[in-house]
Amino acid sequence: MLIDVKNLFKIYNEGEEAEVRALDGVSVGIDRGEFVAIIGASGSGKSTLMNILGCLDIPTYGDYHLDGLDVTELNDRQLAHVRNKQIGFIFQGYNLIPALNAWENVELPLIYQGVPASRRADQVEEALERVNMADRAKHRPTEMSGGQQQRVAIARAIATRPPIIMADEPTGALDSKTGLHVLEILHSLHADGSTIILITHDNGIAATANRVVRLSDGHIIYDGAREGAFQ
Amino acid sequence: MNLNQAFKIAAKSIAAKKGRSALTMLGVIIGLAAVIILVSYAQGQNAQMRAYYESLGTNIINIEASSWSGRDLTDDLYAYCMEMDDYVLGVSPKIEMWNDIVIKYGAKTLSNMTAERWEDTPQLAMGNHQFSLCSNYTIAKGRDISYLDVQKYNQVCVLGSHMAELIFNYANPIGQTITINNLPFEVIGVYEEQDPNFMTGKDNYIVVPYTMTRYLNSSTSWSSFVAKAKDGPSTTKAITLLNGFLKGLIGENGYYNVQTPNQWQEQGDEQIKLQQRFLGGIAAISLAVGGIGIMNIMLVTVTERTREIGIRKAIGAERKSIIAQFLIEACMICGIGGLLGILVGYIGTLIVGKLSFNMILLPSAGITVGAFLISVALGIGFGLYPAIKASGLQPVVALRAE
Repeated sequence: MLIDVKNLFKIYNEGEEAEVRALDGVSVGIDRGEFVAIIGASGSGKSTLMNILGCLDIPTYGDYHLDGLDVTELNDRQLAHVRNKQIGFIFQGYNLIPALNAWENVELPLIYQGVPASRRADQVEEALERVNMADRAKHRPTEMSGGQQQRVAIARAIATRPPIIMADEPTGALDSKTGLHVLEILHSLHADGSTIILITHDNGIAATANRVVRLSDGHIIYDGAREGAFQ
Repeated sequence: MNLNQAFKIAAKSIAAKKGRSALTMLGVIIGLAAVIILVSYAQGQNAQMRAYYESLGTNIINIEASSWSGRDLTDDLYAYCMEMDDYVLGVSPKIEMWNDIVIKYGAKTLSNMTAERWEDTPQLAMGNHQFSLCSNYTIAKGRDISYLDVQKYNQVCVLGSHMAELIFNYANPIGQTITINNLPFEVIGVYEEQDPNFMTGKDNYIVVPYTMTRYLNSSTSWSSFVAKAKDGPSTTKAITLLNGFLKGLIGENGYYNVQTPNQWQEQGDEQIKLQQRFLGGIAAISLAVGGIGIMNIMLVTVTERTREIGIRKAIGAERKSIIAQFLIEACMICGIGGLLGILVGYIGTLIVGKLSFNMILLPSAGITVGAFLISVALGIGFGLYPAIKASGLQPVVALRAE
């Protein structure tokens, strides 16, 4: 199992009156090559789960094995390497660095990985072509539309060729046509063998996934094929 | 990630954020230039005050020394002072003759018994070739008494400006011969006017080599001397050394006393001390102001930086890469800003020196280096502080910064 999470808790203000259990004992396993949509109302804990799966946050309690590696035991440096090599993260708000142009944004994870400049250029080129943004390489984020920015963000996520792509409401800030285009890219990445985990509140988008996980109040209330998810 | 990469990322980041980088640099430039110019201004004032007190006759040491045996101390004292050339510029016997003086030139007669006003009264002084130096006199016309004049018993004299006027009525006195108590003396020089208001009666001097004393006056044992020290601190040091020397030379077998001639010395030293404290205060305040300016600009961008750090961490940057990037960024901005600040400070100082003091004023190296180090350290410290803090956060927390 690529991702194996057992009994995951994320508790804010633990033991206090204002205690919030964003994740209240979540267990889930995801295999290589799956396309999983995580759905749920806002505040259900889906983003918290995604952040922990993406190693952007740490759980309060629980086990998380990523490709057999116990993530909860890793130090800051090792976590940085996991984020760099294993996971490509796509955010709702794109999170491109505004001062850098598209090319430089995509190049950044490769620099952190230590890829030599000659190979870096090829990989950046390839990633930008994959999302059909090669002709916008010199543009800054402010000079691009939302859809274009999200495509650059996807290019950045796939530049290091990570096995897992995680997308947190990738279409949330886009109009439906642009959103569909982004979704197509994710499906094509899936077709090429990537494992895709997608958060969405849009049932139409979730319905394109092979598997749907529904969260409510920090619990998983449905985990299975998309056919039964919306009944 | 190696250092080369960190440099590339930092350079890219600076170039990408031109406006903010320029603003930060401007903070460093203004802070540093302000410190340099303000401190230099105070130093210029200090120098001007020193010059003023020196013109009042500071750094002059009066020495009274006589041995009961009547031994001549002139050569011993001269030799000792020449050895102390780190502190002392010169020393001369200073004999002022107070008995009757009659000066004749052609039909003119001047005497200290008949003069009606103090400034018209001739005052006869005897010294060596360093007498003018030790009395703060400068030669306006002709030449000063030389070492040879002293050694060869030359009958030459130098006149104070008012004496020259009284005797020669604006005619050229150089090369003329006057008689002093019936002894002929050739006028070889005239002093510059010291005292246009006749307050201290310094322009009525007639100075002759001290070796002529025995022909003008019965006394042959010189007990009064005058020395000039390099500056205020040297004066104090020289007084101590001279006291020690005379104690060894004369001890109980005579009398000696070494002191500065007037209260200006002490007052001047006190003023300069106050001024230096003032200067230190100015340096501290302007450094604080400059530093706060630098701090302010650096801290304004914390939120922006925190988000950026969150993004960098999310895509796999290690903490040390982020810190290295921000350290290099801050070093480059503050280093360049610091160098420009020194340049502006130097130019500003030159302008201030020209306009306010009419002299070439240069900032002291200590202040320049100190202010540079402090402002660069502040810039780096406050540039690095958010980076260190934010890079320790979970990426999701840093990304939430608004």
